[in-house]
Amino acid sequence: MRNVDVVIVGASLAAAAAAKRTVDAGLETIILERKELPRHKICSGILSPRGHRFLLENFGPLPREVLHEPTSCRGVTFHFPCRVEMPMDFFHGTTPHLHRKYSDYWAIQRSGAEVHDQTSFAGLEQRGDHVIVHARRGGEPIAYRARQVIGADGPSSLVVRAVYPDYTKQIPWFFVGQKFHEIIDCPLSPDYFHFWFHPGLGHYTWSHARDGRQIVGVGFKRGDNFAKKHQVVEQYLRDKHGVHLKPADDDHEGCAENFGPSLINRYVFGKDNVLLTGQAAGFLNMIGEGMSCALHSGAISGEAIVEAARRNRPVQEIYRKMIASEVRRCTDQWNPLKIAFDRPHEADFPEALMKLSWRERRLVLRDMWNFVVLFKEFKWGRQIAAAALQRPLFGAYPVQRWL
Amino acid sequence: MLIPPVVPGTVGPCPVAPDALKGIVRQQTNPARWNGGGWDAYVAELRAAGVEVAESMATRGIFATDAGGTAYGMPHGVVVARSTAQVAALLKAAQAHRVPVTVRGGGLTTEGESVAYGGVLLDMTGMSRVLHVDADALTVRCEAGIYWHALAEELRRENLDYLSAPLNMTSSVGGTLGVGGIDVNSARLGCSADQAIALRVVTPTGDIVECSDSENAELFQRVILGYGQFGVITEVTLRVRPYTPLRMHYYYYSSLRTAIEDLQLLDRNDASDYSGILTIMDCAVNLLVAFDSDEREAAFKATWEQRLRGYGEFGFALCMAGHYALRPWQIGEALYLLRRKQAVFPEFRRPEFHRDGRMDDRSVVFSRAVWKHWGSRNMVIPDLATSADRFVEAVERGNAVCRKYFRHYTLYCVGIKLRADHAPHYEMSCVPPGAEGWAYGCEFEPMIEGEVYSRDHFQSFKNAIYDIGVDMGASYYRFGGMMKGYIRRVFGDALVDRHLAMKRQADPAMILNRDVIF
Repeated sequence: MRNVDVVIVGASLAAAAAAKRTVDAGLETIILERKELPRHKICSGILSPRGHRFLLENFGPLPREVLHEPTSCRGVTFHFPCRVEMPMDFFHGTTPHLHRKYSDYWAIQRSGAEVHDQTSFAGLEQRGDHVIVHARRGGEPIAYRARQVIGADGPSSLVVRAVYPDYTKQIPWFFVGQKFHEIIDCPLSPDYFHFWFHPGLGHYTWSHARDGRQIVGVGFKRGDNFAKKHQVVEQYLRDKHGVHLKPADDDHEGCAENFGPSLINRYVFGKDNVLLTGQAAGFLNMIGEGMSCALHSGAISGEAIVEAARRNRPVQEIYRKMIASEVRRCTDQWNPLKIAFDRPHEADFPEALMKLSWRERRLVLRDMWNFVVLFKEFKWGRQIAAAALQRPLFGAYPVQRWL
Repeated sequence: MLIPPVVPGTVGPCPVAPDALKGIVRQQTNPARWNGGGWDAYVAELRAAGVEVAESMATRGIFATDAGGTAYGMPHGVVVARSTAQVAALLKAAQAHRVPVTVRGGGLTTEGESVAYGGVLLDMTGMSRVLHVDADALTVRCEAGIYWHALAEELRRENLDYLSAPLNMTSSVGGTLGVGGIDVNSARLGCSADQAIALRVVTPTGDIVECSDSENAELFQRVILGYGQFGVITEVTLRVRPYTPLRMHYYYYSSLRTAIEDLQLLDRNDASDYSGILTIMDCAVNLLVAFDSDEREAAFKATWEQRLRGYGEFGFALCMAGHYALRPWQIGEALYLLRRKQAVFPEFRRPEFHRDGRMDDRSVVFSRAVWKHWGSRNMVIPDLATSADRFVEAVERGNAVCRKYFRHYTLYCVGIKLRADHAPHYEMSCVPPGAEGWAYGCEFEPMIEGEVYSRDHFQSFKNAIYDIGVDMGASYYRFGGMMKGYIRRVFGDALVDRHLAMKRQADPAMILNRDVIF
């Protein structure tokens, strides 16, 4: 059995960030990845400027291979059923359009950690001051003995299931899928990520250009039919925006998403010597960008392990204190008071709204409200309101809600 | 997948877009670990030359971070400096084997400048002797790894004192000369680096060179305030002075602007021997004024004291009581001020360090207070250094950032007298390019108070302060390490590239402190 300081599950950006911190501090770190690297990953790839800066400062300038075409995105355009469009540029300039297959591989390599790919996480046993991690490689069982384990394996995290067997049944799950189309004619600007606040299309509807094709994506509550949902969106784009696309290519893809935890401050950070981070912990920015908070929360999980050793304190205690800044930043993005009176996002929604006429503003707010009502069934309203009120009172979101 | 190697100091093209991350230089500031190529041969050569290299995890782990605690890195090995010849042998071999060398004194850097991301860490504290004190010429020759408090202790035996040293006296002399060093008498005497008369330096290629303003002046100019890029200082000759106890006076303000204007008034008119501002948040601003002699103190009282707009302790307490009586919702802040006053004020008045109303040993009093009441596990002290006329704006903007990020914090402001003959030393340093006569510096220090914050939180705070510097064309005391990306933003490519060319000439393999500024 291999005896190491840290085992990180999942070769994601969060894992790379965590590994960078632990390796820098001299901790022997192994990353487990079930696929062969470099591996494909479904993602919009539109990284926020904050995430770009993190990559630059910690892993160096991005090589060309880690980017799709167009290589950058200027901002986000919101579309509403009233046909008002709100383009918003990112505050700090254009931002990378990451090719996750290669960007994750690049970051993992730059982290300096040892990578065991084609090694599937199979379970863990917490044993006081260490954790036994069970995995399978080539069908054969393999075990690691680690002081700490970081679960950085995304929304459908196996580490989360191992630590909280019932958790996945307690939260609503969504499916997001995207299809790739050859373009006949597309008036949507390729410089922007396009998002629709349209309750008739789905819970999360987007489109943007990639490598000469147009992505048409839709997210919805798990159980609905992806093909039908996609067809509705494609039809809408054609009818309302004049987007003419060829039939979707065969390489469509989709995955399960946990949209809720960051909205309602219901994160899962693990138990004892197992830390959860990135989207496994529930971090997701508004408009569904999860990479920048994965990078930062991943780094914090690595820092917490280092800091806990320095202070001789339990790692969970340190992690939950350190992660508070990232929780504030992420949950602020969903906080209606923050959205109205502050600038929690990396693009200026209030300014874009004020550029509209009074009539357009009224229509936009009406459409946004109708869109929000779509989420009524999840009963998040009171929880969001409570969190929003507690934030100015206590300067933070209550930690008691975290698992 | 091919990841092209990044040549140290270079800024590569950005494949994302020219306007991505506007203004931010495409440089990795939290460095990657050196790959270790050639390490074994290097160590073998050093050991053959009688140089002891410690490679155990326990020894290397001691040096994994610096006082800032936001950068971590493990050297492949640690060498404790013993002599100039040993340092020369180490650098000569490092140049041949292309092994990075990171030099560390007190380790009080805050951005990882003294953290080794692989390679060898040269611990200078092994060279910490006072070599010669010349009481007539008022100079001292010492090894560069000595801490300031140890130097002060030796000088006191000769009834001498240093001229200006950093408040944190566990800084090493050599490290301080490489970055600046400010004291409450810097407004009169300049920064610590200005007190150096001559140096013995080991160049990155292993040559031992004596330098001063008259001998190898160009090397002297580059090594002073040079962030350790152009050589390892092993011996230093410093100016010193006869020891005198201090006569301290404190004036209290509720306005940063007013206090700074009064500080600058005193500095401009040479009205005090020591001056500085220390605050509790921006609510209680303390202007500290001190004198070396009764004559200077009397002249101040006769001419300048009545022009100061600060209050005495009792008057200020009344003002504060009135202020908070009208703002009962700020009771938390008022209680914090009171708690802080009760904790900190007695430190500056401890009877064992005072005699006849004079402070006997400022180095002990200040150092003790700094560690006890301002220090924490993470020394998070971003700063701004500006010309005199822009200082108020810089402090007020920085203060707003502090308020946003932390509940409690302190500001520390002093002037730095600039010496016209040292202008070449100041190029690309903590002294801002536009400053004439005096530069002014302010440190913004959050009170951590046992809290645990992520490095990202600290870094975001620091970046917000440093961005003010970029916006205002200012500079910073602590330049380098994880903030090396700011050097091109502040000084421009032309100046930085000129220094980089000099660095490449002096250090062909770019091994000496290579992750600090280039």
